[in-house]
Amino acid sequence: MRSKLVFLPLAGIVLAGGPAYATVYLSVEQAQARLFPGATFQATPVTLTEEQVKAIEHASGVHVLSKQLKAWRVSTGGWFIADEVVGKHEYIPFALGLDAHGAVKGIEILEYREAYGDQIRNPEWQKQFLGTDGSVKLQLGKNIRNISGATLSSKHITDGVERLLVTYELVFKSSAH
Amino acid sequence: MNLCSSHRPTERAQPWLGTIVSIRVEGLAEGEAHRAIDAAFSEIATVHRLMSFHDSASEISRLNCNAARRQVEVHPWTYFVLEQAQQFSRASESCFDISVGAELVKWGMLPAPVEESVPQSGSWRDIELLPGSRVAFQRPLWIDLGGIAKGFAVDRATECLAEYGPSRSVVNAGGDIRVMGSDAEPIRLGAPSGDCSAPVLELADGSVAGSHSVLARRRHRDDLRGPHIDGSHRSPVLEDRFVCVIAEQCIAADALTKFVMAKGARTAEVLRKFSASAYVKDPGKDWQHIGAEEAEMQ
Repeated sequence: MRSKLVFLPLAGIVLAGGPAYATVYLSVEQAQARLFPGATFQATPVTLTEEQVKAIEHASGVHVLSKQLKAWRVSTGGWFIADEVVGKHEYIPFALGLDAHGAVKGIEILEYREAYGDQIRNPEWQKQFLGTDGSVKLQLGKNIRNISGATLSSKHITDGVERLLVTYELVFKSSAH
Repeated sequence: MNLCSSHRPTERAQPWLGTIVSIRVEGLAEGEAHRAIDAAFSEIATVHRLMSFHDSASEISRLNCNAARRQVEVHPWTYFVLEQAQQFSRASESCFDISVGAELVKWGMLPAPVEESVPQSGSWRDIELLPGSRVAFQRPLWIDLGGIAKGFAVDRATECLAEYGPSRSVVNAGGDIRVMGSDAEPIRLGAPSGDCSAPVLELADGSVAGSHSVLARRRHRDDLRGPHIDGSHRSPVLEDRFVCVIAEQCIAADALTKFVMAKGARTAEVLRKFSASAYVKDPGKDWQHIGAEEAEMQ
C-alpha cells in the first residue's frame, strides 16, 4: 500500500481533459456484444406519439426526454435500447438489454462526463488560468478519472430504466406481435 | 518490454449499490478483460441483492423484518459483513453502528423498509451472530449496511479480477476505490478547493474512501440532517469536514470514514490498529494526516 497527497493546479487538471473529462466506456456495438453475445441486431427505431409519451410519464412518473428511441430487436430474443438520462450536470448515455420476457438482462453506462465541480466549469472562472506558466504543463497528462468523496447517485439511471420498462410494456411488447 | 503493456485498458461502468460503479483492468486482452469485468460486476450484483436496504427481497430487509422474532440464516458474505461491522463498532466505541437505519428513515434519508413502527432504541450490540450463519436481533432493529457494503463489494470485485491476472485494476463504487498494482492511480479528492489547486491522492496497492459531510446534508423539519451518524449518541455529524481513509481493504476504508468524520484526529490510534491512515480537512485549517505513517504529503 502506498499513498501520497499532492496538490495540483486546477488549471492543469482542467486542461488535461477539457472543462469536463469524458470517459467513454463502450460504443453501442460493444455494449450489444456484451449484453447479447453472439446475437445479431435489427435496428428498430421508434417514434413515440404524444399519447404514448403521456402514458409513459403517467405510469413511470419519469419525464420523457425524447420521442425518438434507439432500439434494436435481438436475434436471440429481446431488445437492446440505447438511451440517455440527465445526470447532475450532463447527459449520461446508457444501454439497456431486455430479455424475451421484457426483464432487465443488463445495464451498461456508455459514457460518463466527469465534472470537477461547478466553479471550474464556469468559463469566466477558467479564463483566469489560461496562459499560465509552464509549470502547469507538468501536470498535463494527469488523466484523473476517479473522484473520492463526492458520491454520485445512480437514481437518474434507475429512473431512466424504469421509464424504458414502462415503454416496453406500452409500446414494444405490442409491436412484437 | 512487457507484452501485457500492448493491451489497452478496458473500463466499464454499471449502476449498483445506489451509485455508479466503474471497473478498469489493464494488461489483459480485450476479450479476457471483459470476461474479468463481467465476473467482477456479477460479484457486485450479488452484494447489491444481499445487502440493499431499499430492496424488500434482500437479506438485510429479511433481517429487519424477521430477526427480532426468530433466527434468520444469511449468506456467508452477509454474515462476514455483519461480523466486520461489529468489529468496527467495537473499535470506534459505537460511533460506527449499522443499526442507525431507524434514524436514517426518520430523517427521510432512507425509505421505511416495513410497515411497522420505527424501532425506538437498540444498537449494534443487539445483533447476535450465531453459529451456522444465523442472525438474531435482541429487539427490533433496522440495520443499514450503506456505510460498509460498498467497500466490501469493491474488495470482492478486486479479488475476482485478480484471478484473471491483470497487471493493474481500479474498482470505484461511488468514491470507494481500490487500486491493485504498483503504478499509482491519481484520485481527485472531493474536498473544497478554496485556492487554485486541487487535492489529488496518488494511490497504489490500496483502498481509499472519501466523504464530505456537507454534500449529502439536507433539512429535516427545522434541523439539518445528514447520512453521517455518530452511533454512540445517535445524532448527525454536521461538521463541515472532508475525510478520506486509506487502508489495504476497501471495507476498512469505507467503515472507518464514518468514525473519522465524527471524531477527527481523535481516531488516530484506532486507524493505526487497522494499519489505516486518514487525511482530514476542516474549514479554515490545514490538511491533517493521521494514523499509520506510510502516507506522505507534498
